[in-house]
Amino acid sequence: MFTQYRRASKKRIFLFLVFFISLAFLIQACSGIPDTPTTPSAGMERQGVLRVAMQPIVQTDPAFISSDPEVIVANSIYDYLVDVTPQNTIAPRLAREWTVSEDGKTYVFTLVENATFHDGTLFKAEDVVWTFNRLRDPDVDSPTKDLYSNIENIEASDKFEVTFTLREPNPFFLYDISDNHALILKAESSEPGSDFIGTGPFKMVSYSPEDRLVVEANDDYFVADRPGLEKVEFIFFNDQTAQTEALRSGQVDLVMLLSADLFRTLEDEPGLIPLQVATNSFDVVRLRSDRPPGDDPRLMQALRLATDRQAIYDLVLQGYGAVGRDTPIGPMYSQYYSEDAQLPERDIPAARQLLANAGYPDGIDLELYTPDTGNRPNLAVVLKDQWAEAGINVDVIVEPESVYYGDDGWLTVDLGITGWGSRPYPQFYLNTMLTCDAIWNESHFCDSEFDQLASLAGTTMNEQERVDAYNHIQELLIERGPIMVPYFFSQLGAISDKFADFQMKPFPGRSDLSTVRLADQ
Amino acid sequence: MTTVPKTTNNARGVAPSLWRRLSLLLRKLYARPISAIGTTITLLFILAAILGPLIAPYGENEIIASEARQPPSPVHWFGTDNLGRDVFSRVILGAREILVLAGVGTLLAVVFGTIFGLLAGYSGGWLDEGIMRTFDSLLALPALLLALLLLGTVGQSQYSVLIVIVIVYIPIVARVVRSVVLAVKPQGFVEAARLTGESQPRILFREIMPFVYPTLSVESAVRFSYAIFLIGSLGFLRVGVQPPSPNWGLMVKEARPFASLVPWALFFPAAAISLVVIGVNLMADGLKRIMS
Repeated sequence: MFTQYRRASKKRIFLFLVFFISLAFLIQACSGIPDTPTTPSAGMERQGVLRVAMQPIVQTDPAFISSDPEVIVANSIYDYLVDVTPQNTIAPRLAREWTVSEDGKTYVFTLVENATFHDGTLFKAEDVVWTFNRLRDPDVDSPTKDLYSNIENIEASDKFEVTFTLREPNPFFLYDISDNHALILKAESSEPGSDFIGTGPFKMVSYSPEDRLVVEANDDYFVADRPGLEKVEFIFFNDQTAQTEALRSGQVDLVMLLSADLFRTLEDEPGLIPLQVATNSFDVVRLRSDRPPGDDPRLMQALRLATDRQAIYDLVLQGYGAVGRDTPIGPMYSQYYSEDAQLPERDIPAARQLLANAGYPDGIDLELYTPDTGNRPNLAVVLKDQWAEAGINVDVIVEPESVYYGDDGWLTVDLGITGWGSRPYPQFYLNTMLTCDAIWNESHFCDSEFDQLASLAGTTMNEQERVDAYNHIQELLIERGPIMVPYFFSQLGAISDKFADFQMKPFPGRSDLSTVRLADQ
Repeated sequence: MTTVPKTTNNARGVAPSLWRRLSLLLRKLYARPISAIGTTITLLFILAAILGPLIAPYGENEIIASEARQPPSPVHWFGTDNLGRDVFSRVILGAREILVLAGVGTLLAVVFGTIFGLLAGYSGGWLDEGIMRTFDSLLALPALLLALLLLGTVGQSQYSVLIVIVIVYIPIVARVVRSVVLAVKPQGFVEAARLTGESQPRILFREIMPFVYPTLSVESAVRFSYAIFLIGSLGFLRVGVQPPSPNWGLMVKEARPFASLVPWALFFPAAAISLVVIGVNLMADGLKRIMS
């Protein structure tokens, strides 16, 4: 009798468990519970304090930062020599103006004379020299050491003047010295990761890892009338849904790096200003071109013909971005982007015919590898459906991102989807992804004409020559490239309408918080 | 053709046909409302698993780009998901994979578990100790953790999920069977069979086994529902399953980021898991009452 009773009640408990677990799934999915305590409400004095919700930061030494949150923190405490605007042009910052020599090898920067570090010392040319020497020092081993290997010499040619001498001309050098890591530190800083002494618009107040980081206005900032805020609080959240909920309930004022679906839920929210900026971030579908089956260019052409780009854009990006044209040169680079070359329309019979000609009259079976992050799994599923109509049958294999990029699997597989971040100029993609000896040449593409064009575009100081080379490259890639770029995605975010003058940048971490001010009520 | 009398004499030797036994069992299950509900739910899901492709109006990965993210309607009973796939079709088509995996997994676990349980319980001694302590150490780990560990080592595919279910549930079944054997073993008829020189397999399967059946059938049903839950959980963790598989757990995971925009894509697969687990459990409950 006793066992009978016990077994029955165990069953009931189990049923209850099932019910609650299913309920938990639903609740978990439908709401985001902020996992950080809310800001202590300070009533009206809170005005002028911008609270930014973001992922926790790990690195604080500018030479090693990488994520958006790390960069936005560093960008408020330190300054760049020159900055990149939301329109992707170069703007002065600690360097007031600059001149480039005829041969493109010597850059002379004239610095501002009224900037001081947070400890009161005057900012001078030596600080710039020290910072860049540190960034290219092999012993420091910053990710920038290869980027700056082309620099022959850096010299303080005057108290407020720095001269960079290059080995080879580099038309993109101004973008390079505005690299995310190139924030100017005080010369001879002993603890660059923890003393937080910069010239920037905000000064460090407190940093409690995993919780929050607080900075206050630098009253002696060298740009007049900036910063516009009294304080900025960076509050760390691990979960994007929780960030969105915190924004909706007024616990934070700014959220960036939103996924399209979360952005849609905020778009019509009263009191919020949606932020959207076009970038050159993209997912590339690439086919290894140095071994079968990809060494037959007809297969790539068949994939192109079987793809419906507009449908992918609507389903996967939900309209937040731009349709791609199978080259990494996107519409964000308005001066280089071209729509001259004709991208073939979707044509299933033509795709089938190409496959048959290539020796696959009954269709072909392929494995499509993709990391499990972002829109990539969805892109893979949509491609599977579209390609199936043309007899291209793919098995989707979603791997954790660490597995996909680990052991260089992504450089080995035949068919894969890889995400590439936005850069301020397109040459980066050509040199690291598509030239014969590119370090991340995942499609093992090697085309001598392409290499010549890429090298020309990357070294000429003649802008028209570069524009022509890039146009040519786009034609070439559409005709015989090993890649498909179905879309470029936008960066999405939202800010409370209590604030004004915030401009999000394609790399959201580089957005300038010093311009932000309280909105006129 | 030998003539078989219409009314079979069940008194000795001649077993009633499987069909008759099943219909008898069903009639008993339908005698009580609770177990009738459970049985109906279970049968409906089994029907969906068998006839899935005939019932489902769309394919499992058929994308209708123009009809993405639509709420439930007469055209799409459960709405469409963020990629424009019919949720009803995917739930129906997902039934086969999950029920077959859970069913075959449970069956294998029950067969092997019974053999181990019979052996351990009947022989006792070092064999009993050896088998049961090994199983105890497996049972010390939570099922999901053990499953993740195993899938990490044997690689991820549907077959690995099957192997995992078998390995995770063998110890539990063996334990239950062993306890029944221990209760039956000291009884006189077993001793008598041994003294008349019956072989050990014969004693195990002919003399002892009939006493194990009732417990075993209930245990199988319970294991079956746990297995469904385990497969769903593994799918939710995207382990051992690849998109665009209509695994209900994976569907819940994929719909989660869109929960506030496309809640139906999350609700229906989640509901399917709950419903089938509850249905099988209610049926198992009824089964137990009939057996005891």
